[in-house]
Amino acid sequence: MEFASIDELERALRDADYLPDRGLATALYLSLALSKPVLLEGEAGVGKTEAAKALASVLEARLIRLQCYEGLDVAHAVYEWNYPRQLLHIRAAQEGTVREEELFGPEYLIRRPLLEAIDSDEPVVLLIDEIDRADEEFEAFLLEVLSDFQITIPEIGTIAARRKPAVILTSNRTRELHDALKRRALFHWIGHPSIEREIEIVRLRVPGIPERLAAEAAAFVRELRGLDLAKPPGVAETIDWAMALNALGRQELDAEIVEQTLGSVLKYREDIDAVRDETLARLVDEARAAAAAS
Amino acid sequence: MAAGDAIVGHVVTFGRVLREAGLEIGPGRVADALRALDAVDLARQEDVYFSLRQTLVSRHDELDLFDRAYGAWFLRAPVLPPARQRTAADTLTRVGESPGDRLRAAEQDEEAGDPLELGASGHELLRDKDFAELSGDELRRIRDLIARIARTRPQRVSRRRTADARGDRLDVRRLIRHSLRTGGDPVDRPFRARKDVPRKLVVLCDVSGSMDAYARALLLFLHAVVGTGRGVEAFAFGTRLSRLTPDLATRDPDAALARCTEAVVDWGSGTRIGASLREFNEIYGRRALSRGAIVLIVSDGWEREDPELVGREMAKLARAAYAVVWVNPLKGNPEYQPLAGGMRAALPYVDRFLPGHNLRSLEELAAVLAGIERRHAA
Repeated sequence: MEFASIDELERALRDADYLPDRGLATALYLSLALSKPVLLEGEAGVGKTEAAKALASVLEARLIRLQCYEGLDVAHAVYEWNYPRQLLHIRAAQEGTVREEELFGPEYLIRRPLLEAIDSDEPVVLLIDEIDRADEEFEAFLLEVLSDFQITIPEIGTIAARRKPAVILTSNRTRELHDALKRRALFHWIGHPSIEREIEIVRLRVPGIPERLAAEAAAFVRELRGLDLAKPPGVAETIDWAMALNALGRQELDAEIVEQTLGSVLKYREDIDAVRDETLARLVDEARAAAAAS
Repeated sequence: MAAGDAIVGHVVTFGRVLREAGLEIGPGRVADALRALDAVDLARQEDVYFSLRQTLVSRHDELDLFDRAYGAWFLRAPVLPPARQRTAADTLTRVGESPGDRLRAAEQDEEAGDPLELGASGHELLRDKDFAELSGDELRRIRDLIARIARTRPQRVSRRRTADARGDRLDVRRLIRHSLRTGGDPVDRPFRARKDVPRKLVVLCDVSGSMDAYARALLLFLHAVVGTGRGVEAFAFGTRLSRLTPDLATRDPDAALARCTEAVVDWGSGTRIGASLREFNEIYGRRALSRGAIVLIVSDGWEREDPELVGREMAKLARAAYAVVWVNPLKGNPEYQPLAGGMRAALPYVDRFLPGHNLRSLEELAAVLAGIERRHAA
């Protein structure tokens, strides 16, 4: 699939039930047009990972995800030899001699996400999720892969990408990334969506939700983000919560139902304690007023 | 390129404007920006804005600067991009006397006066002399000692394994390879082990008026710590928080101190420890900068506003951190009692409470940092 303009891509993403703002649509479009990786940063729960899934779906491409963590190494990101099988093979051929090529052939190779993405004949969207969690050594290695789109396996040789995958990196900014990696990528910061967009997202993701409930839930979460919380809720939390409210058959918010369901919006004990009682009643009133106005 | 010469000229100049404002804009980025503009509809202002932003900016904290420059350059908004001033003369007139300047001034004094002869016993004396009483010359002499102390970094065990003959895990890949030579029998047994890597270190240094006498020596220490490699973040605070890591990354200590004085807006002002800690927790703690890190706070604990806030924010900080160390130069005085409200509120969340008023106490600090254990559960 090719997209001739940002508008076209934006429409396709909407049809795939993902509502990007103009900035994100531009970033994804430019990433394809310039064939450069795009680095998405933003608070938790603003839909960084979802963006990659939606892009894969509109491109009719396979989504390959590499989840980063501290200690991630080549064996888990690129490839690994299947040692048990190799040992069995040596055992089985006890009498004869085993040639090295036999033992290090493709049938003994375990392919991990990066190799899969490079060595693929179908279109691929490669999602490198939470790159900031990986070690700096791994980041340097990744930089190499992203500049050449090839991987060298000493026993087999160099495998070059026949078609460049679309690459999306996400980071929660637990540390600054290498400048070199940042230079290689487009950068887009995803903020919390506007109230109108968030209502739209909720209505899209929670089919059948009363319009008023969607607006009040979105407005309430927005009020929460304005407080001094350990973890302000993201769009993902708004959706979870709206689902819960809708499943309970609610038409609108009141202090009682918010109190009962607060656990699906706020994930920390101290945050829940901070919005109890009068604060909660006040927030509900404000959210209802804001929803009526929007 | 379809974009006309006028656009090329515009973007190149805009790149220069951003560079002057302190952003790192290489020719590669400008080329990307032109390619991006070529791909979008120039009539839509929003698309032009995002195309430039996404290709020219790579850090969240540069967005504000970019927006202002963009407004000034493309929208002709009546604001000027906030250019960072870099010359020493500007610094002098802008922030008045500051530790960096004093260091420079002190060195000039020294050139004029008689150089002091210091033998081994002289160094020994210096080790116990309060930083507040050091002359410029003495400060220069202990600079290398400070740097040496700073080089002891606390370590943590990495999850990555590297080849190590005394390791604890068999290196199966190499085992297979080696066994080919011996007809399939594993004669050699290569091992892999986890290695130690430096633990994250976050330093928050009080530069308010009451800490002025110690700030220059402690900044030298900070500079040396940042110079030990990755995983160190340094901040200064008085009434508000400033991130110093990029400024301290300059190799030359004098240049680094000069850049710090530019970066910190409130040298020698009052102290709002609680508010500064909150700013840290909100902006950097949320990014998990402090998670698993050793947090080192250097302050006399004189909170001018709200000691209760200090306690609340210290609790948050201590929960995320691996350990919290508080260095208070006043503690060098044997008669010192932590009576200041802020200090008292903070102490329950502090794992180690140390003085930091002379070289000997810095050595003690380095030893504590190297051997620190987590006191509280995760």
